[in-house]
Amino acid sequence: MHEAPIIKLGGFNIDISIVTMLIVTCVVVFILARLAVRNLSVENPGKLQNFMEWAVEFVQGMISSTMDFKKGKVFVSLGMTLMMFILVGNLLGLPFGIVTEYSEPGHKIFGQEITTVNAAAFEAIHEKKPDVEHPHIGVAWWKSPTADVNVTMGLAFLIFCIVHFLGMTRNTKAYFKSYIEPFPVFFPIKFIEVFSNLLTHGMRLYGNIFAGEVLISVLLGAGVFGIPGLIIWQGFSIFVGCIQAFVFTMLTMVYISHAVEDHSAEH
Amino acid sequence: MKIEWTSTVFTLVAFIILYVLLNKYAFKPLFSIMEKRKELVLGQMQDAEENRKQASQLLEDQKAALQAARKDAYDIIEQAKTTGSKQADELIATAKSESNRLKEEAVRDIESEKNKAVAALRSQVSGMSVMIASKIIEKQIDEKSQEQLVAEYLKEVGDKA
Repeated sequence: MHEAPIIKLGGFNIDISIVTMLIVTCVVVFILARLAVRNLSVENPGKLQNFMEWAVEFVQGMISSTMDFKKGKVFVSLGMTLMMFILVGNLLGLPFGIVTEYSEPGHKIFGQEITTVNAAAFEAIHEKKPDVEHPHIGVAWWKSPTADVNVTMGLAFLIFCIVHFLGMTRNTKAYFKSYIEPFPVFFPIKFIEVFSNLLTHGMRLYGNIFAGEVLISVLLGAGVFGIPGLIIWQGFSIFVGCIQAFVFTMLTMVYISHAVEDHSAEH
Repeated sequence: MKIEWTSTVFTLVAFIILYVLLNKYAFKPLFSIMEKRKELVLGQMQDAEENRKQASQLLEDQKAALQAARKDAYDIIEQAKTTGSKQADELIATAKSESNRLKEEAVRDIESEKNKAVAALRSQVSGMSVMIASKIIEKQIDEKSQEQLVAEYLKEVGDKA
């Protein structure tokens, strides 16, 4: 498996590939959105505008399927941003990857040593596999940002914060009551559920995309024989990327709807 | 899977910046355009509904007008028919009375002419019968009868005497 290009900067570990890919993803999403709204027209929308409007209506449908649309209208932008960000992030790692191989320690980028390719890393490999004479460390520079657990958990954490903030401010009584419903005995379970939701929300996306990338690199290792499988898997990865973007956004809306809707009226 | 919390922070920062930028430069104009289109479509649908109502109203009016015109035409025809038949009856009646009058006049004329003819004939017949009688008398009163007549007269005279 490839390592991440991590450098130490001011005491912080910074993953260059994640920073790069986040910037690329944001730029691609922004350019896409700007292109779509470049020539806005009420009566004669262009192809991209049509597509964007379809996406907006899709997100609106998601929201209105989970909550009252009057309450959920403000979350359309959030849903759109999530969808586009995750979709573009998922697909970025598919067409190609940039991997550099290192056989000795001491490589620098921006004047900082890459900590995953330092002497200690080579020693660790040597300890694990003493029979390998010239160990190599591959560093992946281009990959899906969503294939990194820190990114997906970051997104999930953002949603987690939004959801619980909304629950506490908009629906205070029902929010706190939901922890001890139907009986106070359930509190531990409910409490764990909240965090397991956060964990599964982020891990689901990470697992799907990461697994896809792993299989792609495995198939690449198979050489010519891997090409048919690679074609199939690339296609399937596009599908998985779309589905996961949808699932993440849909779950976000479901969590938000739980937080903002007053469920006490139903009981 | 390596936990690097800095990546998480970068993700949050990048996502929030992206959200703000997209909201400002992409979604706001897009949503407003979609809202405008919605209004446009609604307005057009209302217009269409109004037009449809007007059209149906117009159609109703036209139908009523057509019905009225048909009725008028029927009435006119009906009237014309009755007037025609009445006139025909009148004409026939007039013709009948005229012919009756003519017939009666003719009969009367014939009667008077006949009477005149009869009167004329009668006067002529009496004259002619006198003439014929005088002629016959002239011819037949010969000697023998003259004698007889004279004798008769004489006898009469004698008897009277």
